[in-house]
Amino acid sequence: MGLLRFPESPLMRVARPEDILLPPKLWFVVLTLSFAFVANLLPFSGMALAVRPDFFALVLLYWAIHQPRWIGVGAAWACGLLTDVVEANLFGQHALAYAILGFAAEFFRLRVQRFPLWQQALYVLVLLLVAQLVVMVLRLMSGAAPPSFAFFLSSLTSVLLWPALSAFLQWPQRVRSLTD
Amino acid sequence: MIGNVSSLPNEPPQFFRRGPSAIARLTFFGIISITLMFVDARFKTLETVRMAVATVVYPVQQLALVPGRGFSSISEFFESRDALRTENEQLRAQLLGSSQSIQASGAAVIEANRLKDLLGAARGVPAQSQPSKVLYLGRDSFSQKLFIERGSEQNFEAGAAVIDHLGLLGQLTRIHPLLAEVTLLTDNDFIVPSKIERTGLRVLVYGRGPARLPELGAVGSTTDVVEGDVLLTSNIDGVFPGNLRVCKIVRITKATDGAYSRIECAPFASTRSSESVLVLGRPAALPPRPAEDASKDTRAPGKRRRATE
Repeated sequence: MGLLRFPESPLMRVARPEDILLPPKLWFVVLTLSFAFVANLLPFSGMALAVRPDFFALVLLYWAIHQPRWIGVGAAWACGLLTDVVEANLFGQHALAYAILGFAAEFFRLRVQRFPLWQQALYVLVLLLVAQLVVMVLRLMSGAAPPSFAFFLSSLTSVLLWPALSAFLQWPQRVRSLTD
Repeated sequence: MIGNVSSLPNEPPQFFRRGPSAIARLTFFGIISITLMFVDARFKTLETVRMAVATVVYPVQQLALVPGRGFSSISEFFESRDALRTENEQLRAQLLGSSQSIQASGAAVIEANRLKDLLGAARGVPAQSQPSKVLYLGRDSFSQKLFIERGSEQNFEAGAAVIDHLGLLGQLTRIHPLLAEVTLLTDNDFIVPSKIERTGLRVLVYGRGPARLPELGAVGSTTDVVEGDVLLTSNIDGVFPGNLRVCKIVRITKATDGAYSRIECAPFASTRSSESVLVLGRPAALPPRPAEDASKDTRAPGKRRRATE
């Protein structure tokens, strides 16, 4: 039984809301965002394509909540525009959806940070669903056929990643701040 | 006595200022996005921007493909000899089965050309074809797109038909320097002018988006159509070469209220899993329309607006 327990080191546990983390480095934010962008380009097919999480939106949301001075509405909008260019469909749809994500993150930021990870995940789920709904409304207005129901599954799979992603993204700040 | 309240500053001091409020920024960027959407949808002026950025992003996309390729090459390595042998046998059987029809079709083409010569009609010219490989499926959940490789010496033309080994897959819509976008025939409002193989009746096959099967448009409820009928391209549009297999009718719902029945058909081509495709050249130009017809309707049926631009 004792083997199953994680060691009581600050390295191994996720920071509680009251823990103070070091500010992240700009290069780390940019690097994680670029990785998430590339992860979104990974080729999937069949069911995996439908339930593919939106890594870019997740990482964007994380930094918009935890580092709003760098990643705000404008940065989120630019990232959305980049996604639009790569996806080569209606220009500006993801830009608008991600800008709304950035705004919502700024709005709920202080509240969300006080929550444990699973409650944060619920907030994130709502935000991602809203973003997907914005994209869907825009596409339907531009004359696309309605997608299958699997479309919204992507938000669910994204949210399942939120706790792990948060733990991973706060790693460098946690390690240095809690071991000192 | 009350102090002079009006002398207090209304705004926070300079060092608290952090630009415009979030809602102002959201409105600003929201308006830009909607303008972009409008400009893109109406004027298609962003096509050049898109092409430039697609070329820049291409290496990144290739990078993203690397893990998948590595994984598939590893799994290929461990694939057993037995599996390869059965696949080989299957392919050989397929080849044998199709070779009979190929031999027959050679004779049929000669015979048809001889008859056409007798009638003085134009001969059918076999279309040029260029092989290509599917890079990845489109990630958009609303449209049905496929991206294929484009070699430096291959000259693709927007509007060209794309087929796989089973049937018509779709049409090239955007040509980038290193890859090309194929719009599948299941895409919403994609139209393929076809004919029913058994009766020769000309019909239009309409794509209905990702969640539904393509349908035949405007086929009367008294028309001779049965489930299992095969649809071939009719080449009436001059875009798709004739006699490519398009789809097979799977369900006919007789209308009780209207004059048309709802006829759904399943494409032959494996729209989600084909690996190798063939890009066909444009078929030989059709004879010009008679003058009195041209004045009524200048747009050829079935030509997609995007493809012709």
